[in-house]
Amino acid sequence: MDMKKSSTINNQYTYGFHKPEKSSFKTPLGINEKVVEAIFSYKNEPLWMREFRLKALKIFKQKKMPSFGPDLSELNFDKLCFYNSPSNNKFRKWSDVPKDILDTYNKIGVPEAEKKFLAGVEAQYDSEVIYSNLKNHWEKLGVIFTDMDTAVKKYPELVKEYLGTLVSVDDNKFSALNSAVWSGGSFIYVPKGVSVPIPLQAYFRINAKAVGQFERTIIVAEEGSFVHYIEGCSAPIYTNDSLHAAVVEVFVKKGARVRYTSIQNWSGSVYNLVTKRMLIEENGIGEWVDGNLGSKVNMKYPAMILKGKGARGELLSLAYAGKNQYQDTGGKAIHLAPNTTSTLISKSVSKNGGRASYRGLVKIAKGAKGSSSHVRCDALLLDDKSRSDTYPVNDVQEQDVILGHEASVSKVGEQQLFYLMSRGLDEIQATSLIVNGFIEPIVKELPLEYAVELNRLINLSMEGAIA
Amino acid sequence: MKNIIIKKNENLVLPVIWRGKKKEISYNIKLAGVGSSLTFLMLLLGKKEDKVKIQVNVDHQNIETKSKIIVKGIVDDSASIDFNGLVKIEKGSKGSNAWLSANLLLLSDSAKGRAVPALEILENDVKAGHATTIGKINDAELFYLMSRGLSKAKATDLIVQGFLNGFLNYEK
Repeated sequence: MDMKKSSTINNQYTYGFHKPEKSSFKTPLGINEKVVEAIFSYKNEPLWMREFRLKALKIFKQKKMPSFGPDLSELNFDKLCFYNSPSNNKFRKWSDVPKDILDTYNKIGVPEAEKKFLAGVEAQYDSEVIYSNLKNHWEKLGVIFTDMDTAVKKYPELVKEYLGTLVSVDDNKFSALNSAVWSGGSFIYVPKGVSVPIPLQAYFRINAKAVGQFERTIIVAEEGSFVHYIEGCSAPIYTNDSLHAAVVEVFVKKGARVRYTSIQNWSGSVYNLVTKRMLIEENGIGEWVDGNLGSKVNMKYPAMILKGKGARGELLSLAYAGKNQYQDTGGKAIHLAPNTTSTLISKSVSKNGGRASYRGLVKIAKGAKGSSSHVRCDALLLDDKSRSDTYPVNDVQEQDVILGHEASVSKVGEQQLFYLMSRGLDEIQATSLIVNGFIEPIVKELPLEYAVELNRLINLSMEGAIA
Repeated sequence: MKNIIIKKNENLVLPVIWRGKKKEISYNIKLAGVGSSLTFLMLLLGKKEDKVKIQVNVDHQNIETKSKIIVKGIVDDSASIDFNGLVKIEKGSKGSNAWLSANLLLLSDSAKGRAVPALEILENDVKAGHATTIGKINDAELFYLMSRGLSKAKATDLIVQGFLNGFLNYEK
């Protein structure tokens, strides 16, 4: 990370650049049967997928917008492009990737990271995955890491077995929309007993203006396996709004463990409305590490369904709401079996008029004896223009459980500030230090390069925060 | 729906006890005056088929307002308690404090508890917090008392009393 350069940048969003728009195929603005048919035929998909898409479109039209959280009335489906393919090809070597696109990923540092510490990488540019590669070693062990479009063609039976089974098409308006126009996303399959100790990473980039990105991701971790998946997201700064509506379904089989790390750093013109869910079977462990830094409006509540005995779910959620940002984030834990445990930890920071809300659900069903859940959410308000909300639902239908929930909202403590300033730090440095300390429990779980980036971001935004 | 407005420097202590009769309880309380404060103590005792839905809204509309909401519920038999609290601190209500806690003790296998302690904070010069617990009597506590010769029923009584005692000795 080039610290010298970054400390002099006024604009704190360093991924706001954009490349000339290129499309080899693009649907007209708006969404209707024609658009869905066009995507289907351009992609040359099997017939069952046409049915899946068209049915979803019908449901999308019938479904109402969410009745809670941020106002989405400015989101105009008629002004969005639902499919924009930058290239006809998918590549397995960075040297083959078209120059503009390669340039973008170089700036973000993806090829560099792949060499150093990743087992596989996938890069999605607008609607299509442009690059994907899994190191040979893992391929030989039977691990599948490919884009979803390829998976539909290459492993149709496997895809059919899981697609839409955890997040049904009619779950909500945006899961229906995603099902109708989905494109790209990752498909990961880890065979029984295989452990992939170094992470697989996907990088999602929106480049074109007013475009929607609708990736669809499925992760299947068979018995006793382990995989860590990381996704990062960014986009240019435009005045027209973009939409990102992903659906992610993660299946954690008996004794398996999946860690899903997501860092969304979309620009301030993106609506991020995603549905993410994990199904965790007997003695499995499912973990969400969820960083929400960017976007204009964000609605994201990763869910853990603890279906098997002794299953464990963990959520670490971080939200950062700056000017004109509304982070409506949180998580869900649904305990369906005995001796299941969940921990949900959320930290949010609001400043410059930003609004951060924690929206959570813990439900312990009848019969989930011996289960326990712990929820902790803390919020930091950095000025008197910002706002923080907590909406936790705790629903217990079984006696033999322990459920604890605690939350606090505070400002930066004057004593803490005074102490640090008496040691020679100025107010900005002191505040940065306190904020970094506040989010530390989550940052320490992030991969190193993201942790560095996050600290840099917090420091930078502090400079503008205190006049 | 009960509407209450608390005026300047007024300190309201509001105890509410539910013993299974009402199906719905709701309060709308506004801390309207400078320095007004509220202590809301809610004791819920549910038995048999008792069912209640509770909504408590507290709105801090002025500077240096304080609210403390403490809800303790004992849920026995097939009773069910659904508590919804919403504490809002309006912009400009500097120096305000809010505390919202809900503890539900489930005494029977078919008892149910739901608690939604929500906060909306629009001012940063405040302290606000909430806490919830829902669950059964701690096995370790029960075991300790029974190892001292108390019957299970007696031990349970004692623990329930302790659970409620904390409520009576609330801090001002």
